[in-house]
Amino acid sequence: MTQLPTDNGLWGGEPDSPLVAAVHLSVRDLVRRRFTESGLDWDAFVAGPIDDVITKDDLAAIDAAILASGHRYSFSATISAVERPDAYQGLGALEGGFDHPDAPSEPADADGKALCGVGDNVVQGAADVTGVARYVRSAAQVIALMEEGVPEGSIAIIDDSGGTLTAPILESFAGLVCAGGTVRSHLGILAREYGIPCLMNVRLSGVAEGDRVLLETTAAARTADSYLTDTEMPARIWKLS
Amino acid sequence: MTDPVSPERPAISYAQLLETNQLIQACADSTYWLCLTRTVQGSKLYPVSAYILLSYLNAFYRYPSLIRKVEASMPAEEIADRARQMGVKAQNSSIGWALPSFYLLGREYLINLGFLRPQDAIEDVITVMDFWKRFQLSWHRNDGHLTNADYNQRAQILPHSAVQRFAGEMHKVEPGGALSVAAQRFLATVSQYGFLVSAESRISLTNSGPYRLTDDSQLLMRDFMDLGETSLPWLDDIASDMPFNNLTVAMEVTGCHFHLVDDWGSFESTPEFTPDRLTGIGLYTSDTLSEGHVPVGMDTPETLTAMLDDLSDRAKAATDKLWLRMAEWSRDQLIDAGALSYYAICKEIAHIAGVFDPADWLEIDPRAERFRPLLSDEYADTALGELVGGLTLPSQQTAPHGMMKWSDKPTRVLTPLPLSVLNGAPFLPRMAPPMPGGSHLPAKNDRYQTTRGVLSLAQYNEAARAFVPKSCRPEENFRCETARAYPGCDR
Repeated sequence: MTQLPTDNGLWGGEPDSPLVAAVHLSVRDLVRRRFTESGLDWDAFVAGPIDDVITKDDLAAIDAAILASGHRYSFSATISAVERPDAYQGLGALEGGFDHPDAPSEPADADGKALCGVGDNVVQGAADVTGVARYVRSAAQVIALMEEGVPEGSIAIIDDSGGTLTAPILESFAGLVCAGGTVRSHLGILAREYGIPCLMNVRLSGVAEGDRVLLETTAAARTADSYLTDTEMPARIWKLS
Repeated sequence: MTDPVSPERPAISYAQLLETNQLIQACADSTYWLCLTRTVQGSKLYPVSAYILLSYLNAFYRYPSLIRKVEASMPAEEIADRARQMGVKAQNSSIGWALPSFYLLGREYLINLGFLRPQDAIEDVITVMDFWKRFQLSWHRNDGHLTNADYNQRAQILPHSAVQRFAGEMHKVEPGGALSVAAQRFLATVSQYGFLVSAESRISLTNSGPYRLTDDSQLLMRDFMDLGETSLPWLDDIASDMPFNNLTVAMEVTGCHFHLVDDWGSFESTPEFTPDRLTGIGLYTSDTLSEGHVPVGMDTPETLTAMLDDLSDRAKAATDKLWLRMAEWSRDQLIDAGALSYYAICKEIAHIAGVFDPADWLEIDPRAERFRPLLSDEYADTALGELVGGLTLPSQQTAPHGMMKWSDKPTRVLTPLPLSVLNGAPFLPRMAPPMPGGSHLPAKNDRYQTTRGVLSLAQYNEAARAFVPKSCRPEENFRCETARAYPGCDR
């Protein structure tokens, strides 16, 4: 079989992810085939034909082959699954609440507080924060809240650590709970700028739309060093009865 | 599709390769630390990883030629002088990290896909890294470091006289007072707008400093860029009410120490910065055509409060309009906006040199575009994660005795140039120049909002080429801090 110049990586291997490995092996095989068909040496091939003979259609065929194997992509941006429902896992993942397998759970105490989650505190505040849980996971929900207004005392429960999905309504929330990211993610940066109490990287379970929750925003803010050393600095979340 | 590339073998020296590899390693160390400690991004609106990979490819295929075009008009070190003196969007995050790293990560990705050997495009790699080095040395000339990381995460870009000016002009802020409330609202609102403008990236925001004011107070410079109808096409008709394209906030903070201002322009402080620690503020605008920072609403505390409130209202209105526009975009449009935001992060070098062309900076090159079908969310998320964090791609493995900085593992982020080219190993000197590309977004209107009003592109480029701000004329530019300290030495 024809060798590519980069096939002989002494210390190489293949990517960790089976999907990434499959795509990269397929692309390399495509390059190998076109290189062989060209009859050129590598210098001549990479200096010219490689950009003519490896086309967008060729690479689309690799995507099609992966889907033909039965694989369906997980989505991060909603638009991806909306535009290609045949290629992505369903949008049903956006329905309902969060149910993290590692979320801590304790029965309600004498004050009616039941532990239901932990996260990374963005800024250590002077007081904990109480509010009503409101899931925000899609553009349609954002548009509805733009039109109707965010009810006072709402705590956004979101899985988008970015700063764009909730851009028009973010400032109206009394607190933020995000199932992803770190305290330095865009949402964490914005929470700090707005002065909105915020927990990131949250493991949460058992909180439904409209539940009253208490965020331990008096906990120490998670530091950069703690991420580098993988040291937990948990701030707790309770559901209130 | 490809223009023939000259078969001439350029003369490359051992010293050039050694220096270039050192610069590549500096980017690699910085990239790993930043990616591991600073962020985990996800977005339900934007396919972030997909657009990042596309931007890396576009950068690889186009940056070397565009840098040569820019330098034919103005050398890197002079562009950095302008950036330092004028506060335009050629800041640390744009050039200090993104310009070389986007290019090198595109190269790394293509090596793993079998499209390149490590020695291919060797002249391009040298061009990009040499431009970066000269820009960085000039940009950091007051602190003498190549990067913020080299300075223990600090960026003291400004000369003493500039710090004195900002400190002297700022208005005092009383915690809880009208100016304090207006300032906090402005910083939050314009940050939110900036993340949206730059398609879920922090490209529109950066910070530099800190500078010591007293034992208990420090100055942080905060830049908000690309806010108006200047060079991003998706702001056409959206940002028409934003009167300034760039805004700089000079912020005096008392009772906390900014222990980190990194190469992405993010800051951290001990204790955490909170609005009650803001004790002074100044507001400025600047661009390629201004005599440095021009005060905005700075006459009195009351006029500044009113200006900040007004700008907050305008930024909020523009945020809502822009969000509704983006919410209707297709995936290809979202990817293009993100990829072009990233790729064009260093476009200001072309504005400063007076050679900006939307065809250079606002199009996806067909060589990059062909990869779009591969960039599903799942593939892009995992491939990008392996490329910048996991370091699990074949090109990133090193000999087993290796102990990489930060992780102690036998891995690396970026592949150096092989020295075997000095023994006659074959290589491709350069990639072909940019090819006519495109985008799924509307073309940029020929309206460029500047500090001299709305100009056409031809007018803007011509004005930029003709303009030398006073601070960048040799008699002023080379009165460096050392020369100022010994006034008798330069006569």
